[in-house]
Amino acid sequence: MRPEIENHWYPVAMCSGITTPRETLLLGKTITLGGQPGAFWVRDAAGNNLQVVERYGHLWTSPGQPERPLFTIPEAEEQGRRLVDCGSIKVRCSPLRAVENFLDIAHFPFIHTDILGAESHTEVERYDVKIREDENEVWATKVKFFQPQAAQSADGGITTDYMYRVAAPTVSVLYKTCPPRPGAWDVITLFVQPLTEEWCEVWPWMALYDDTTPMSDLVSFQQMIFMQDRSILENQIPVKLPLDPGMETPTQADLTSVAYRRWLKKIGYTYGAQVVAA
Amino acid sequence: MGWVAVGLGNDLRSGMAMPARIDGVDLALWRAVSGAVHAWGDRCPHRGMRLSQGFVRGETLSCIYHGWQYDSDGGCSYIPAHPDLVPPKSICATTYDCIESGGLIWVELDAPTSKPPMLPDAAALRSLQIAAPVDDVAAFLEAPDQSVIDTGDAVVVLQPTDKASCMIHVLARQNPKQTSRWAETLRKQIEEKAA
Amino acid sequence: MILYDYILSASCYKVRLMAALLSRPLQLKAVNFHPLKEHKSPEMLALNPAGTLPILVDGPLVLTDTAQMLRHLVSSQAADWQSDQDAQWLAFAQTLNDTLGAARLHDILSYDVDIEQARKDGVKQLRTLEEHLSEQRIDGLGFLTGDRPTVADIACFPNTALAPDGGISLDPYPSIRLWLRDIRALPGFIEMPGIHRLHELATPPGASL
Repeated sequence: MRPEIENHWYPVAMCSGITTPRETLLLGKTITLGGQPGAFWVRDAAGNNLQVVERYGHLWTSPGQPERPLFTIPEAEEQGRRLVDCGSIKVRCSPLRAVENFLDIAHFPFIHTDILGAESHTEVERYDVKIREDENEVWATKVKFFQPQAAQSADGGITTDYMYRVAAPTVSVLYKTCPPRPGAWDVITLFVQPLTEEWCEVWPWMALYDDTTPMSDLVSFQQMIFMQDRSILENQIPVKLPLDPGMETPTQADLTSVAYRRWLKKIGYTYGAQVVAA
Repeated sequence: MGWVAVGLGNDLRSGMAMPARIDGVDLALWRAVSGAVHAWGDRCPHRGMRLSQGFVRGETLSCIYHGWQYDSDGGCSYIPAHPDLVPPKSICATTYDCIESGGLIWVELDAPTSKPPMLPDAAALRSLQIAAPVDDVAAFLEAPDQSVIDTGDAVVVLQPTDKASCMIHVLARQNPKQTSRWAETLRKQIEEKAA
Repeated sequence: MILYDYILSASCYKVRLMAALLSRPLQLKAVNFHPLKEHKSPEMLALNPAGTLPILVDGPLVLTDTAQMLRHLVSSQAADWQSDQDAQWLAFAQTLNDTLGAARLHDILSYDVDIEQARKDGVKQLRTLEEHLSEQRIDGLGFLTGDRPTVADIACFPNTALAPDGGISLDPYPSIRLWLRDIRALPGFIEMPGIHRLHELATPPGASL
């Protein structure tokens, strides 16, 4: 496998869920993981130890040599944040399709109807997108959307501000308006573990300012949102994400996904992608 | 290839969409509120979502992912994320010829050169999937290479879906429930033979 | 009435849906079924030693069997939502749980299931359902036990509608497709993740028709 694919950090477990050693897949290859907090380990099929990092409630590893340390989310480390592990859900789609769906807002009125969007407000206004060369990440800023029930902590409909960030080929972070603390951002992430090119395990995680909603409701909300997306993700054709224009037709609302696809091509990341317009 | 039956007219109500497959080609069949039937490639040109899971409003089919709306000619007429935009004509679904005849819906993937076959007089009853190639069904009914097979009590119209399975559309002359049960037995026998 | 609930559970959804169709208010208490297995916590086991969800609490009554919960909800409805054949369909609904439902939990939450067998058995159940619904249609009837829905339909609906989550396609079943649609169009119907809103029933502002 090419270094462009292997030299990245990938999520492989929720730390609090590691009880006994178990097997899983990463980039189509079996790995085993186990251990305790502060001493987790990941081994490849040959028994070699892979690099590991524990961060944001999850265990991260790499089958290669990442060029940069694992990303950070400074907001997530602020005092008073509730950190929410959501467990994992498996989905039969390309890991790149899972990330791209997470970056998209135009589907809110149709897939998350009366929660994240409604047909009364479907317009996606212009926003800014940039590939940040220094960090080698994709960022979308000044995104906004009207939402009937933006978060568990919201009282009725609000226009939510968003920022989107692709911190690694299969890691997406969104920052959204935080109703209890105007000016702060709620952080919601989707860490995607590529099991194979056409199958992935997603690990949603959140760092929120919300002192009142019970944890089970926070977890339910996020799992609900992802499961609403899952039936879309399993029905997109072609299965692999086309990185060349021609097969699929973006509009202005899709600038984040356009940038994501261009960035993947630029860094040579083709796992779960197809590069010839069919 | 010619016209292939893909379902019963009665199974596709006005205002509905449903999937079908001919030899590995995925289709979205849909019926407008006016009653007109359409067969399109089962793929929205936006992000590849299956159009067969979309929703019909009036004479249009919309993709469930982002609500992109397509008119009866297959052209995209409305993109909810950009309500004031007139979508470019290049954004369109792949359309195929589609006709209702003899109680069945027929699709032609290439340019049609004739009409769908005239069916023997019998009432369209139901469609069943069989986990065997269409040739196995024709052979079992002792009518190799035929796609409309008259068994006397019933008429069986064959639809090749992919290499290992097919759909049969059954028309009944006799008691409908009896014919339905006969079709179930037929399937069982064919599948047991194929296994 | 209080329902100890998990948002992704097909069985919990049966109760949420039945209550919504009857306009019966239900207070939902979210249980962290996944990833924390909260349904097996000491507090939850005290309420239901079987360690399952849903749990329906109505005053002093604590119900832990889904079919019982559905029956309880419709018991005050006289003849509506009930029929003589409900028992056999509630039993059939359990087989859908054990096949379609098991395949779904395997595919989504990595449950330890013989997935090939679950899918094979699930297809058998779907074919049985398709045959029955087709025969009902021959008699001009649209639901499992007659011309109106009963607990039988609500019990069988969720696992059927969610079959694709477990890798079992609903494409080859036209009668099931129509039945699912008719249930989704019932007044008071509520969705669950994996079952989308019928957008065709809404008239949006401004869209061309």
